[in-house]
Amino acid sequence: MFRRLRRDRRGISNVIVVVLSLVIILAIVSNVVMWNYEMNQVDWEKIKENVTITNVENTTYWSQYTFKNEGGLTVHLVSLWINNSTIHQHYNINVFVNSAETKTYLREDIPLPTGSYTVKVVTERGNMAVYSGN
Amino acid sequence: MRKLSRNRRGVTPVLSSLLLTVIAVAGMSIAITATYVITDELHDSMGERLIVEDVWFTPDQVSLYLRNVGKVSVEMVSVYVNRTDQSFTALELEQDSHGWLHVSYSWSANSVYEVKVVTKRGTNVADYYVSPS
Repeated sequence: MFRRLRRDRRGISNVIVVVLSLVIILAIVSNVVMWNYEMNQVDWEKIKENVTITNVENTTYWSQYTFKNEGGLTVHLVSLWINNSTIHQHYNINVFVNSAETKTYLREDIPLPTGSYTVKVVTERGNMAVYSGN
Repeated sequence: MRKLSRNRRGVTPVLSSLLLTVIAVAGMSIAITATYVITDELHDSMGERLIVEDVWFTPDQVSLYLRNVGKVSVEMVSVYVNRTDQSFTALELEQDSHGWLHVSYSWSANSVYEVKVVTKRGTNVADYYVSPS
C-alpha cells in the first residue's frame, strides 16, 4: 500500500500549488494582522493619554507652564502654541511627563501676549491640552 | 561524443521542462510582486494618522497646522470647507513632521465651518471650527 503510494507521482503538482498558495495567503494575512495590531496599539495609547495644563505664569521676559499627566503612560510634549486674536505662535518643545507627574516648564524666550490668550500643548501621539488665561 | 551530439532524442522533454520551469518562476514572481504591492498599499493606508494642531482664520484664508502622527508620510490632495473643494498650498508631511496648510477661503465672522482634509491614500480628518468675530 505504502510502496504503491510512494511510487505514484500523480497529483504532486496540485499539492505543491496548494502549499505555495497557502504560504502566500499566510504571508499576506500575517502582514496585515501584525500591522493592524501595531496601529491598534498606537490608537489605544493615544486614548489612554491624559495631559492637562494646570497653570501658566508670566512675567515681562519669560513664561512658565505647569503640565500634569493624569494618564497611565508617559507623555512626550512636542508642540506649544500661544494664541490670541491677532497671532497664532508655534514653538517646538521636547518635554517628557511621567504618569501621575506634574512638571513645570520654563521658557525664557516666550513672553505671553497681553490680554486674553490660549496656551495649547500637543503630544507626540496627537492629543492636546488647552489653557485659557489673560 | 560525436554520437551524442548527433542524437536529437530527448531534446523535446528537456525543452518542455525548461519552459515549464520558466513559466512557474515567472508566475511565482508575479504572485509575489502582487502580494507585496497589495500588502504595501494596505499597510500604508492603515498607518496614516494626521491631526490638526491649530486653525487660524486670516483675511481670505484659513490656515491649518497639521502634524503627521502616523507611521508613513502623507500627502494632502483635497481640502473641503463646508463640503466644497477649495484651493490650497501643496503639503506633504514625512513621519513626525508638521507644517501649515493654507486654504484660500473668504470666511465670515462668527460662523461655523466644517473643514475636511483628505490625503492621497484616502484618510480624512474633519472637524468644525468657529471663525473669530
